[in-house]
Amino acid sequence: MSAGNIARHRNYGDIIERHERDQKWKRMFRVFIYFLIVAFLSIILVIVVRWEKRKQVKAVAQSNLVTYSAFPPGLL
Amino acid sequence: MTEVEIREEYQLVELAKKNSKAFGTLYEKYFDRIFNYIYRQTDDEDLTADLCSQTFLNALNNLNRFEFRGLPLSAWFYRIAANEVNKHYRKKKTDRVFSIEEVRVKELMDQGHEGWDEELVKQLLGFLKELPTEMLEVLELRFFEDKDFKEIAFILDITESGAKMRTYRALDRLRKQFNLSIKYDGKK
Repeated sequence: MSAGNIARHRNYGDIIERHERDQKWKRMFRVFIYFLIVAFLSIILVIVVRWEKRKQVKAVAQSNLVTYSAFPPGLL
Repeated sequence: MTEVEIREEYQLVELAKKNSKAFGTLYEKYFDRIFNYIYRQTDDEDLTADLCSQTFLNALNNLNRFEFRGLPLSAWFYRIAANEVNKHYRKKKTDRVFSIEEVRVKELMDQGHEGWDEELVKQLLGFLKELPTEMLEVLELRFFEDKDFKEIAFILDITESGAKMRTYRALDRLRKQFNLSIKYDGKK
């Protein structure tokens, strides 16, 4: 194939443009992944905090129950 | 290619990693060769232009992953191009094409032997058509692109001994077919 014919297909500008577009998408994808990770960790944190709170409430309720059942009325 | 030239190219790559505009020099240098390499495997100008663009785009996108292995940068471009061609044929599920220009074969023949006539060149082209793809790939890189076995192995993702074996097998067939005594790499 002649050099002139090949030269017709040179399109460096187009390649740079596509490269920049690809890089932009890559950056956006990376930001999206970071966002997902942060969102996931936040959800886990909220779940753990709620679970801890519920556990504390349960423990308090249980300790009250133990106090009353250990000393039934009329025993002392 | 000398060690110094290879190092110079790697410096250009390092520059291009920081500023993609610097990739232009490498693009200008290798575009024709990569285009011809792909064209011989597709025989379609527009398709070749697409695959060639994709090759350079992939190279530019993955420039950060590129590492020095003592091979010329062109080997990396050829490897990406070979992968693009393979991907195209896998996707289209069509038969692979190998287009070898008669003129190029004559040129090669004239370098080594003077007694090659039109008829023999035609027979040789016929013989090449019958060769399996993997042998043609190696022969193409060895004789049309003038690559050494280390580069061929890297481009086709095979071992160096595998590349040598394929070449010698193809040449053995050629010897038997044409009843020739070809001297190649010290072997007769």
